[in-house]
Amino acid sequence: MKKFREFLRRYFSHTYGRIGFFIFVLLVIMALFAPLIAPYKPNALSDDVLAPPSYKHFFGTDHLGRDVFSRIVYGTRISLSVGFVAAGISALIGILIGVVSGYYGGVVDEIVSKIIDAFLMIPIFFLILIIVAMFGSNLFYIMLVIGLTTWPSNARIMRAQTLSLKERAFVKIARSTGESNLRILLFHIVPNGMYPVVANSALQMGGAILTEAALSFLGLGDPNITSWGKMINEARTYMAFAWWTIVFPGVFTVLAVVAFSFIGDGLQHALYPKLGGVREE
Amino acid sequence: MNILEVKNLKKYFPLRKFGKKHYVRAVDGVSFTVEEKEIIGILGESGCGKSTLGLLISRLELETEGEIKFRDQKISETLRLPKDIRRRIQIILQNPYDSFDPRLTVGDSLFIPLKINQIGDSDDDRRNMILEYMEKSGLTPSKDLYRRYPHELSGGQLQRLSILRAMLLKPDFLVADECVSMLDVSVRADVINLLMDLVQSLDTSMMFITHDISLGRYVSDRILVMYLGKIVEMAPADVIMENPLHPYTRILISYSPTLIKKKTRIPIKGEVQTLLSEPKGCRFAPRCPYAQDVCYQTEPNLVEISSNHFVACHIVEKEAGS
Amino acid sequence: MKVLQIRSVSIRYVVGKKEVRAVEDVSFDVQERDVVGLVGESGSGKTTLAHGIMRLLPPNAYFKNGEILLLGKNIVKMKENEVRKYRWKDYSIVFQKSMNALSPVHRVGEQMKEALLIHQPNLSDEQMMKRIRETLDLVRLPSRVIRLYPHELSGGMMQRVMIALALINNPKFVIFDEATTALDVVTQGQILDEIKKLVKDLSLTAMVITHDIGVVSEICNKVAVMYAGRLMEFGPLDKVVYEPLHPYTKALLKSHPDFLEPGEKMMGIPGNLPDLTLPMKGCAFAPRCPYAEKICFSETPKPVEVGERVVACFKVKEVERT
Repeated sequence: MKKFREFLRRYFSHTYGRIGFFIFVLLVIMALFAPLIAPYKPNALSDDVLAPPSYKHFFGTDHLGRDVFSRIVYGTRISLSVGFVAAGISALIGILIGVVSGYYGGVVDEIVSKIIDAFLMIPIFFLILIIVAMFGSNLFYIMLVIGLTTWPSNARIMRAQTLSLKERAFVKIARSTGESNLRILLFHIVPNGMYPVVANSALQMGGAILTEAALSFLGLGDPNITSWGKMINEARTYMAFAWWTIVFPGVFTVLAVVAFSFIGDGLQHALYPKLGGVREE
Repeated sequence: MNILEVKNLKKYFPLRKFGKKHYVRAVDGVSFTVEEKEIIGILGESGCGKSTLGLLISRLELETEGEIKFRDQKISETLRLPKDIRRRIQIILQNPYDSFDPRLTVGDSLFIPLKINQIGDSDDDRRNMILEYMEKSGLTPSKDLYRRYPHELSGGQLQRLSILRAMLLKPDFLVADECVSMLDVSVRADVINLLMDLVQSLDTSMMFITHDISLGRYVSDRILVMYLGKIVEMAPADVIMENPLHPYTRILISYSPTLIKKKTRIPIKGEVQTLLSEPKGCRFAPRCPYAQDVCYQTEPNLVEISSNHFVACHIVEKEAGS
Repeated sequence: MKVLQIRSVSIRYVVGKKEVRAVEDVSFDVQERDVVGLVGESGSGKTTLAHGIMRLLPPNAYFKNGEILLLGKNIVKMKENEVRKYRWKDYSIVFQKSMNALSPVHRVGEQMKEALLIHQPNLSDEQMMKRIRETLDLVRLPSRVIRLYPHELSGGMMQRVMIALALINNPKFVIFDEATTALDVVTQGQILDEIKKLVKDLSLTAMVITHDIGVVSEICNKVAVMYAGRLMEFGPLDKVVYEPLHPYTKALLKSHPDFLEPGEKMMGIPGNLPDLTLPMKGCAFAPRCPYAEKICFSETPKPVEVGERVVACFKVKEVERT
């Protein structure tokens, strides 16, 4: 418990971490309480088409008379979901593969390492683009694809952690006292080694949100949902004379990605305070 | 029956240097036996292979060649031991802070092995056993320390807990690898005393690995001196100290800083060696002040020079024969 | 002539809102040609004191009190740029092997040149090379070392380079801070021998910081024993080590296996170091001392002269009798 408090203290002493967390909390509130915060239903049409921001419509309306602010608020749910699910899948697969590969070594490790190297060389976005274009653009499918293509960076991290952890004295002693390999992996190695993966996942969340936005912008997103990226895509035709239709979704996208970057930074700082900056001890 | 029988044990670590494959011969053909209740000291400097030997015996490292028998049962060739044998061979390592999972309380770290090996009748029973032993070892207040995390305790406390963790499993054989080297001098006594008390009261055999001659002699019944992966001398502890025969043993003793005054240094050549590409002859010959031609040609065998006193040295062999 | 006079020196570290009393009211003198061993365990303050003498304390440490007269000059009061004029010229320090004292990206020769140039900027290249070779000769290193990088050196060689670096400007006083601790026994013995010879040949005065009393008994003529930042005992080697008066010194020796009668057990010291962030009432060692009485807990014993030495203990007479 004390260690956790210490971790929190270190995290919040980092300016960027604080800012990121603050924005994140705001977004979560928006997502959770969307029906309470949004003054209109996101898909409610009206005759008030392409109206500029006003007291009635904080962020104006789009080409179908829908309230931009409400759409943004509901869109937060999509963005955060994409972030969590995609990064979550990526982390899960990455940790699993990384830990098994690092602990058992041998042929499995060599194959996995080559796969990781290959993935890290390919521009992932284009891979995702191709897959989504070929197989369909349902939102869950997009989240899955992002998760399935971004796990290598997590696996690489977890593998490195595993390689060093398995030489530690307490792991050797766990083997000596009869703990099974499975138990050692699950209860000793993963809990001690996953922290950098957590920090990386924060960044991956931002990346997933951006990817979904880009896919939607290119018309490959889920047609049935309201996402910021879709809003930007739809606003392309009107942006010259209705700046609010594109600026607000754009700003929120950037805000979310930046927030996660800062959180990733803060986590990194809280986990490894000695990296860059003054030593605290 | 001997509790441990080691035959021609070898561990080579491959090293690739510019395409050519070299081997670090950490343990290079070691053979010896350990009797019931015996404490055998493995003495040597860093790089001699003593720690690797400890890991091989406790099955945390797989040997390259050779055989290990535990109570006449072969335990070599695999790192997977049947559960009841696994419990009977335990190890204590050098760094007390590294020996505990930082995310667990020390109490849990001692509890888990008991549970896994089904020692004790219930969880409560197991916890009580731990607390009782902690009290007896001076780790008080036990209920408070039980709930602490490793970083909150001192090296001496952690090392005592390491000993308890191993001994609560009532092992037949314990490997203790430099278990006090990282501790302050005044703390060592408590740790060693606890170790000796438990080992003697539970009739455990022990392999005590150290570079400290005085400590080795204090703890061990018999001492085995290692150099570059080989045994150079083996004899009862007192005999090694009072009548060392192998040049390396004698040099080691002459260079050890001790409080016993008036020691003359025996000259030794060169620097500490680790890697030998294609070793020929006695490993110690390049540094030995008495080396002769034969020493560079043939490897000396470990030969019984006098009762229970084994030495691997051509010169000593010759003198004994004459 | 007194080379070093330490007068009531107190050094503190600021950690968060607390202050650690690392060195508390320590006084002793070092005469010309003395080799003083400064012995203590972790938390004793010996390293802090050594770094204080060299004015190499970290930014969060400061001199609370006292003065240090090194070769007649008060080190404590000096400004940094003044200290730099004398540091590494009149006095220097040799660190432990595992400290990153050598720059990994510069060759040994370059680093030695730099040390020379700082204090003798007008030397010609020829004179510099001559001096470098001379110094390497002193520590028995071949001159090919000049072209090597630190990672190409063995532990023993690196330590010798550090000694060479410390001697290059002909200092009168050298501190060896755990200089042989990370080395193996034989190398340590060789280096201790070399230090002994250097002290004699160059008329050096030295201070040897160590936790190993064995090392002290090899090369020192005087010993200072520190505990929890305070001086417990100081005097000639023969007296302090072979006829210890302070209870802590006695306990320290009793925990060394060399110093036991056959059959006698090693004795630990019960208890723990006191919390150095709290002001100490009474003798620092009282809570752990077998001779402690009421006065020991309420008043701090000042070092008192007993024969040729100085002891900080109220119960010295009793201790003498046992």
